[in-house]
Amino acid sequence: MTKEKFIYGMYNDDDLMIAGIKQLQSKGIHVRDAYSPFPIHGLEDVLGMKWTRIAIAAFIFGITGLTLAILTINYMMIMDWPLNIGGKPNFHFYQNLPAFIPIMFEFTVLCAGHGMAITYFFRNMTLPGLPARNPHPRTTDDHFAIEIAECENKKFSKEEIETMIAESGTVAVFEKERIVKFL
Amino acid sequence: MVKEAEVRVPLILGKDVTYHSITEDVCRPIEGKAGKLWWAMFSVAIVLAIWGTGMILYTIGRGIGVWGLNNTVDWAWDITNFVWWVGIGHAGTLISAVLLLFRQKWRMAINRSAEAMTIFAVIMAALFPGIHMGRIWLAYFVFPVPNQFGSLWVNFNSPLLWDVFAISTYFSVSFVFWYIGLIPDFATIRDRAKGPVAKKMYSLLSFGWTGNAMAWVRFEEVSLVLAGLATPLVFSVHSIVSMDFATSVIPGWHTTIFPPYFVAGAVFSGFAMVQTLLLVVRKVLHYEKYITIQHIEMMNRIITVTGSIVGVAYLSELFISWYSGVEYEGYAFLNRATGPYWWSYAIMMSANVISPQLFWFKKLRTSFVFSFFLSIIVNIGMWFERFVIIVTSLHRDYIPSNWSMFHPTFVDIGVYLGTIGIFFVLFLGFTRVFPVLALNELKSILKSSGEAYRDKDSDQH
Amino acid sequence: MDQFTFTDKSKKIFIALILIGVATIIYGVLDSSVSSHRIWTSALINGWFFFSTAMMGTVFIAINSASQSGWIVVLKRVFEAVSMYVPIGAITLILVFIASSLHWNHIYHWMAEGITDPNSSHYDALIAHKEPYLNLPFWWGRALVILGTWVGFTYIYRRKSLKEDKEGGTKIYTGSMVTSAIFLVFFSYSSVVASWDWFMSIDAHWFSTLYGWYVFSGMWIAGMIMVFLLTHYLMGKGYLKEVNASHIHDLGKFIFGISFLWTYLFFSQFMLIWYANIPEEVTYYIPRLNDYTWSFWGMVIVNFVVPMLFLMSKTTKRNRNVLAVVSVIIFFGHWMDIYFLITPGAMKADGQIGIIEIGMLFGYLGLFLFVVFRELSKAPLVVKNHPLLEESKHHRIN
Repeated sequence: MTKEKFIYGMYNDDDLMIAGIKQLQSKGIHVRDAYSPFPIHGLEDVLGMKWTRIAIAAFIFGITGLTLAILTINYMMIMDWPLNIGGKPNFHFYQNLPAFIPIMFEFTVLCAGHGMAITYFFRNMTLPGLPARNPHPRTTDDHFAIEIAECENKKFSKEEIETMIAESGTVAVFEKERIVKFL
Repeated sequence: MVKEAEVRVPLILGKDVTYHSITEDVCRPIEGKAGKLWWAMFSVAIVLAIWGTGMILYTIGRGIGVWGLNNTVDWAWDITNFVWWVGIGHAGTLISAVLLLFRQKWRMAINRSAEAMTIFAVIMAALFPGIHMGRIWLAYFVFPVPNQFGSLWVNFNSPLLWDVFAISTYFSVSFVFWYIGLIPDFATIRDRAKGPVAKKMYSLLSFGWTGNAMAWVRFEEVSLVLAGLATPLVFSVHSIVSMDFATSVIPGWHTTIFPPYFVAGAVFSGFAMVQTLLLVVRKVLHYEKYITIQHIEMMNRIITVTGSIVGVAYLSELFISWYSGVEYEGYAFLNRATGPYWWSYAIMMSANVISPQLFWFKKLRTSFVFSFFLSIIVNIGMWFERFVIIVTSLHRDYIPSNWSMFHPTFVDIGVYLGTIGIFFVLFLGFTRVFPVLALNELKSILKSSGEAYRDKDSDQH
Repeated sequence: MDQFTFTDKSKKIFIALILIGVATIIYGVLDSSVSSHRIWTSALINGWFFFSTAMMGTVFIAINSASQSGWIVVLKRVFEAVSMYVPIGAITLILVFIASSLHWNHIYHWMAEGITDPNSSHYDALIAHKEPYLNLPFWWGRALVILGTWVGFTYIYRRKSLKEDKEGGTKIYTGSMVTSAIFLVFFSYSSVVASWDWFMSIDAHWFSTLYGWYVFSGMWIAGMIMVFLLTHYLMGKGYLKEVNASHIHDLGKFIFGISFLWTYLFFSQFMLIWYANIPEEVTYYIPRLNDYTWSFWGMVIVNFVVPMLFLMSKTTKRNRNVLAVVSVIIFFGHWMDIYFLITPGAMKADGQIGIIEIGMLFGYLGLFLFVVFRELSKAPLVVKNHPLLEESKHHRIN
């Protein structure tokens, strides 16, 4: 478990925070991250973050599910124990394909949904039993915090950074340690 | 943020609503004590639940001979209840998924409780095929597991197996969808919890949520993709339920419109149930600011639209049964409307097709009392729809010497009422432990759709 | 560039297309190997294809005004222009109906003489059973009421929209919500009846309760791709500056979603009939699967797999060029869908896709585009006073 110290600035409004981030960025300060109680559209653009690729994971899991479903049905219905059900013999997979489609579809969705959810939990490091890592309890209520690392802003001293944050419309500036890596 | 057009009605009422007051309002029922009304409803529900559980245990102990089924009507209340509950279970995911895809902001106030309802309703639904098996302890054989007689597998051609896959996929994906939405809200409760037990519990439930920018980006993307997956899933699940009937050759069951028509019916009944619960929640938890008349009106509109779609389907079926020129098909529908079960057909028609048309009147559409009343009527009507489809198609089949009637026993009734009891116990429990409104999502629309902010702006102009 | 100009060049192209169509018909009439029945069948296919595309313009405007959607407002004029082909499309359909009633073709088997007469040599008991519904006066009455009402509502929407440009205010906006609700109720019944009357009755013995919704879903996809292709063209010419990637994304989502809906309805109908395998129902699919095996399954695959593969990703839905390629493919895929609604019933195993069908497709396309472009040039390309216009201009989604 690795811990690091960061400087935080707290705002009491989302628009103020975005204005604050832009102001700090114009002065050449790199804002690492922001914490908010709800999703703010366009925040990731302001912070220069790339959109997540988690949907691709869902697609891959879905394809895997579809393949598994086809292989399983083919094994059970065609290869291992072919039965003639209601005048519909099971010599080939395609003969009864219409009847197999519902389960192929369901299994695709099952794998895509759960696979993506698990990916999501691991990417966000939100798993049962993990400690909360938000800088201040009110960032899940009505406050918004920005996170700045001293080491990423070598041009300025710590005091300078803190003054600049305070000037950007914050209600509080503080320093705090936070877990950055679990392993 | 771009302001909404003036013609839009605010979705969060109250000029003094702030981010913090939303948190307070949503957390109040969780942190405070329950009111009298809540206890009154909970007591009724728990009595029903206990009675129902007894009846279920009795059924398992004695076998399904204690029900009113007979050789001709071998599916009756059990499957009726199953389809009814699955149908109800559809609205939750529809609200959260389809309305999310269509960016309907009014969904924010209702999606959480609707999704909870979905989960509980699907549990109730899954109960019925389970106890109908008779030997429920062998239920694992519905899954493709090899058995002791060699490799004789489940039948992938059978709609009953499709059902197993559909319902379990639907239940688990809906659950994950619901839970992912709950995590940030649990984090809010965690961060303000006072007692050590509550702190520990919500800390565990919130999975260590941080709320940083990338987490929210992933949150939004996952919600969108899950919504995209859940939408065809909603369609598929009730379609597959309908195929339990439609793949057969029983007149009244085998008709191609069944899949989409069951979906429309499911949405219809599900929205009615959401409406019922929403009005209860609004009253019991005092959420007048968030569950506004606008929400109720929107719900009523969807009820009218889906009710009308169901109406088109009823009439299509009725017409085609004559047009087809197939004797059995024609008789099945004639028997529905004029046979010994004519009253159930009449209830179905009037409750599902005619009564929602009353919502054309704005006065009725925007009345809380009337909406509540009508949502119950629709729930009853949709139960009768399934009863009509299942029992009236079966009780007079191809051979007249086989004709029979179905009479429910006290066990049938007890199990059915019991599931309603268990459902309400779960739901009322949910309102005490879980945030009933999606509080973080509500905050995200406060500035665009809240009355408080709209007025602030018009002052500046 | 608020005002679209219908250039002489495009006019010439469209007239040339119309002339190709006319030349094809003349060729068909003169060539003795081409039956006039085939020409009329093709006229029904192409007539309905473009009529339903146009009709969807009206229906989509109605759906959006009933549901108060904001994003669509900047595209409303494109939908309107498409919808203005409805009256002409109605005439093209009525021509086929007249021809069928006068026995110039035998698309509708139940119209054949003596078919309901027990003493006739080709008496058909099942069709005689359906006579109370399938008889010429009643059938014509329904057709005229349906087409008339649809045309009427199309004009109402267009007129109100033009009036809103001049007057402003929210009166027309709230008023059209009521109009739309009424229209959609009428449409939900009439579209089903229309599909029975005009297409299901071609296979007069056969029936399917799902049919109406299946035809409607096809109509919806045709309307969406047509509107998208026009938007794409207009944007390429520098018009519609207000339309951004999010609008395209939404159109893409609709094309993707409705393709799925179509597939779902196709599968529901096909699978249930295949599964139960009862003689009165399988008559529909047997000729389609035996005589047209490859093209029939090809049609299904094109209409499902192409949008499925290409439009699943967000990037492609936001990319106009990819979307345009997919739309053109679905355009033909959907034309094939309508071909299979009609041809196997009307022409049995003799249906083909040759010079007649393709040539007439060009002719109808020319006529359609000529009307639509003329209507586009008649009014500003973006509505002026819609209450949700600002919302639509600032439409942004991820």
